[in-house]
Amino acid sequence: MNDVSALPSNHTDCQVVKVPHLVFLVLGMVSLSENLLVVVAVVRNKNLHSPMYMFICSLATFNTISSLSKTWETLMMEFSDVGQLDSRGDSVRRVDDIIDALLCMSFIGCICSFLAIAVDRYVTIFHALRYHNIMTTRRAAAALAGIWALCGVAGAVMVAFCDATVIKIFFIVLFLISLLLILFLYVHMFLLARSHARKIAALPGSAMPHRSLRGALTLTMLFGVFVVCWAPFFLHLLLLMVCVENPYCECYRSLFQLNLVLLMSHAVVDPAIYAFRSAELRNTFRKMLFCSDSPLCYKVKALFH
Amino acid sequence: MSVFNHSNLSGGNAPDPDYKWTYEYYDDDEPVSFEGLKAHRYSIVIGFWVGLAVFVIFMFFVLTLLTKTGAPHPEGAEPCKKRVRLTSCVEDLRPPADPDNRPCLHRPLLDSSLSRSLFHCYVNEEQAQEGSRPRAGTPRGGLVQGPGRGRSGSPEEGGMEVGVTRALQGAAMLGGNRTDHREAMSLSHFNIPNVVNSEHCSTLGADDLLLGEPPIIMEGECHWPHSAHHMMD
Repeated sequence: MNDVSALPSNHTDCQVVKVPHLVFLVLGMVSLSENLLVVVAVVRNKNLHSPMYMFICSLATFNTISSLSKTWETLMMEFSDVGQLDSRGDSVRRVDDIIDALLCMSFIGCICSFLAIAVDRYVTIFHALRYHNIMTTRRAAAALAGIWALCGVAGAVMVAFCDATVIKIFFIVLFLISLLLILFLYVHMFLLARSHARKIAALPGSAMPHRSLRGALTLTMLFGVFVVCWAPFFLHLLLLMVCVENPYCECYRSLFQLNLVLLMSHAVVDPAIYAFRSAELRNTFRKMLFCSDSPLCYKVKALFH
Repeated sequence: MSVFNHSNLSGGNAPDPDYKWTYEYYDDDEPVSFEGLKAHRYSIVIGFWVGLAVFVIFMFFVLTLLTKTGAPHPEGAEPCKKRVRLTSCVEDLRPPADPDNRPCLHRPLLDSSLSRSLFHCYVNEEQAQEGSRPRAGTPRGGLVQGPGRGRSGSPEEGGMEVGVTRALQGAAMLGGNRTDHREAMSLSHFNIPNVVNSEHCSTLGADDLLLGEPPIIMEGECHWPHSAHHMMD
């Protein structure tokens, strides 16, 4: 890189914080297994072929893709560090581009899936009687197809033109809009729940404020985890564009790998706050993991009872 | 995310012949001076995380305060209509104490005693309406009937209607998960089709999407429609 500036570069103050590859590998494996489990459970259980679970399955699929590609990239970097891989090769560069495209695609897909889930819940609450007319399986499938197409194209475009500032702006704007939309939808739902809670509180002897507290806690957790895991990465993108030379921004950007760890841990936490809250899904897991529906399983069970 | 760096051609200069592809996380070549910083060098990091924590905690407190003080809030049109129907029944309800929870119907934010009470309320209302307007063969209870669906629909549709019922119950915070004899009896007044089966418990998923507590664990199948079924046999 041509150094145009005459300023001395002093990198001893804010060193890049390096996270060991093992952390990424472990996170990737855990996230992969969890999300794959969710996907398989939703696909196998016919009861779960409803729009709500389709959106959750789509979220889990995007998380699976992101953890797969991140793990693959970590492995490649590990091999490159060890010296097994020539990081200057053409094929390696192409593979890296594919990985980046998949990562971008899965990030955008995750955000769109959150939006879809929030919209689905919103329709369930505010248009409950017409829910099955509004949110048919066909429409949900069409929405998912649209989301996947959009994310695929966006991922490819972002990697092809990754140097352009427009891409980063687009990413950040998408994130902010989704954040605001999700916040609005959930708060609106929460306010309706609160008004009903007030009605109940007006009845004699039935006020149970801890239930509403739990609602507040759930909503805070849902939204809080989303913001805490995603915002640092997007602030990094923003700072990359806005203040390239600023030492404060440089110090923030030196923590990039920690922000990546947060992003990946969100893929780990996601099934817990979306998928595992459903009893039907939990039952499917139990059946899948501990016993399949084979005759052998019943015999084994009979042996122990 | 990794970035492949390559040298950029600065304006007017000859191309640099010995550029190389490096596999690194971000650009190390930019000179940044760390001399004469007024504040701590990690001030953006600290400020960001403190701000984020404050925001999340503030949001939590705002939400809990909203529930406690009950600030007035303009509702959407549909909930208003539902509420208007409810208020006539709401006053004379006696929520009983019932410790055990039945599976299959998920408990939303609110006390499930309201669900039963409101359920009875609807039953009473419908029976009152029935007295003035006899309806033969049509499903009773506006809850159960979706637009344009008759009772002569397929069993699956009937099951879906029950699912809509449950979705509505959950959505309107009415989800009752304490079914008892009385409720099963009153269900029979609704003429719910006999073929409601556990397959349609999946629509219950709509309940547990709520902001409330996680759903009560279902032990495999829906007991509620089976109890109703049992009562009607």
